[in-house]
Amino acid sequence: MLNKLLATVKKEALLLLRDKVGLAVLFVMPVALILVMTLIQDSAFKSINEKGIPIVFVNDDNDSLGYNIKQGLMQNDLCYLVDSIDGKPATAELAKKAVSEGNFLLGIVIPKGATTAIRKNVSALVDETMNGSDSLQQQQDSVEITILIDPVAKKSFLNAVTSNLREFISEVKTKIMFQSFSEQIADVIPDRQNAPTNSYKKSQIIHYKEIFASTASDKIIPNAVQHNVPAWTIFAMFFIAIPLSNSILKEKTEGSVFRLHTMPTPYLLLINGKIIVYVIVCLLQFLLMLAVGKFLLPQLGLPALVLGNSMAGILLLTLATGFAATGFGVAVGTLATTDHQAAIMGSLSILLLSALGGIWVPSYVMPQVMRTISSYSPLNWSLEGFYKLFLRGGTVNDILPDVLKLMAFFFVMMAIAHLANRKKRNV
Amino acid sequence: MSNTAIIEIENLTKTFKHAEEPAVNGISFSINRNEIFGLLGPNGAGKTTTISILCGLFAPSSGKIVIDSKNLYEELPLIKKIIGIVPQDIALYPTLSARENLAFYGSMYGLHGKNLKNRIEFWLEKLGLKDTGKRQVSTYSGGMKRRVNLIAGILHQPKILFLDEPTVGVDVQSRNVIIEHLKEINAAGTTIIYTSHHMEEAENFCTRVSIIDHGKLLTVGTPTELINNNTGAANLEALFLNLTNRKLRD
Ligand SMILES: Nc1ncnc2c1ncn2[C@@H]1O[C@H](COP(=O)(O)OP(=O)(O)OP(=O)(O)O)[C@@H](O)[C@H]1O
Ligand SMILES: [Mg+2]
Repeated sequence: MLNKLLATVKKEALLLLRDKVGLAVLFVMPVALILVMTLIQDSAFKSINEKGIPIVFVNDDNDSLGYNIKQGLMQNDLCYLVDSIDGKPATAELAKKAVSEGNFLLGIVIPKGATTAIRKNVSALVDETMNGSDSLQQQQDSVEITILIDPVAKKSFLNAVTSNLREFISEVKTKIMFQSFSEQIADVIPDRQNAPTNSYKKSQIIHYKEIFASTASDKIIPNAVQHNVPAWTIFAMFFIAIPLSNSILKEKTEGSVFRLHTMPTPYLLLINGKIIVYVIVCLLQFLLMLAVGKFLLPQLGLPALVLGNSMAGILLLTLATGFAATGFGVAVGTLATTDHQAAIMGSLSILLLSALGGIWVPSYVMPQVMRTISSYSPLNWSLEGFYKLFLRGGTVNDILPDVLKLMAFFFVMMAIAHLANRKKRNV
Repeated sequence: MSNTAIIEIENLTKTFKHAEEPAVNGISFSINRNEIFGLLGPNGAGKTTTISILCGLFAPSSGKIVIDSKNLYEELPLIKKIIGIVPQDIALYPTLSARENLAFYGSMYGLHGKNLKNRIEFWLEKLGLKDTGKRQVSTYSGGMKRRVNLIAGILHQPKILFLDEPTVGVDVQSRNVIIEHLKEINAAGTTIIYTSHHMEEAENFCTRVSIIDHGKLLTVGTPTELINNNTGAANLEALFLNLTNRKLRD
């Protein structure tokens, strides 16, 4: 049995090596795609990425509130704060214009007297509580902080960012309120040890950290390289469906099928030989693309690919993707009746699955409906897995669900091929 | 049925899906051990269909087949090991060389290592392909492809060899070489089932022939027997035309 399998593998490898066009499709096309797409998308991703989300910050307050928000945002890697436009200090008007023109994704305007307004509110509150006066109702100064949003920016992405931003701003507001509150209380209550100042500060420090930690781990946005290298590698791996299905169909049309089906060797063994060869091809494709990402792209002034730290995870995910892709090729090769048909069926379905799967446009910028559909594409499972490994420091455990889904896809494809084959041979 | 029969066919019928007429229609005959049995008939008579069923490529609609005392559908894997096939269409990988093709097909029949290599070289030498054996098959002439196609079916020394028009489209030289070697193989103990449109070749080569048309068996016997029994037929070709008449076929 092993001899037969080896002979099949050898035959298949020779066939592939002599298919120069097929090889070009498998190895040259993805390199070209990675280069072109990365260079095109680099500037688009850059606006979000390189230094962080570009935010224009207008501080008309010039007091605690404005100062604290500015400090907080500047410490955050996700944001890149700018407070002047074209060399002039940013004003609310200028900021609005700049954001609407797309120079910044977001703008934040802290109005004049915001801190004073908060303090006033607090004094009124204290007054009311201590003295029973109803001054609060009379002078409720609202503190309006404006968040300006680039109208053409992807909403789904911005929603996440702005809601975090709102949360953060209200934290700062609350903090200032409590500070002035406790200061005033301390004036009223002589026993300073019971003043709430310290205890609030403590809890506040911990709370801040939480906000930033969650922001950083959930919303890492890949740069063009981190997205395009895995994306187009997966695309290329699935493209082996074309030469693979071709190899299956050629055997039918070139007459070998008469021999193949009358030999004392199960047809499945022949298919297994193909799967082995093409999964190895997938691994080679992956290595080539890693090399492109790590060594070639930096030569072109692009950031180098960062691999994360789970080599086992990468290998596992690549293998699973390879299996899913070969299974797909086997199914296409069995369902189609001519190699022409297989080429059209294969390439169209891969284009569709890749577009849905977030290869062309990352799925996190898709509308919610599309994102839901996207999660049914095997290319998306693979891509999500690579995001986890490359961007979020994921381990084997984190990608296991993706690996299992890809392997399940492989087995479903093999089952479909088996049924189709049985039906076809029943002439 | 004779106890020297190696293939026994009883009432074999095959109607393809969506076909109106059966391609093989209630055929019964048996083939003896060590015979060279000719399956003759016009285009579309059902020759390839019959051979395909005998090789286990697809199932018949009805009928019983016993090969080497085994029921075909109960012991197909065993039977597959003892048969060899030379299909009507060249069944080779065009981008592989003759040696690579033969190595693959030989392996599929369980040959390997030195034995496989020796047999490949033996036959390439015998059929005049030793020097060209490393060229891709796509660069071969029709006759060379036929010869390689033949070797792929006989490498494993099958007990029963099915030849579906093994000499179609080849020159006289190639044809003679092929027929000569087939006779040798037969002399070494292989039963041969052979189809052809070449009546003269069949008359000389076969020990017995059958003539089928429209899926029906018209006659079966030794060439001499059949010619003598049919008044006015001087040779197999005349007999063939008498039986199947001169109308053109699909
Ligand atoms: N797979 C198939 N599906 C449907 N019909 C088929 C199939 N294979 C053969 N036939 C039909 O069955 C009939 C017998 O075909 P077959 O190939 O057995 O003829 P043949 O005797 O080998 O002819 P030839 O000498 O031209 O090779 C023909 O009418 C053919 O059209
Ligand atoms: Mg035929």
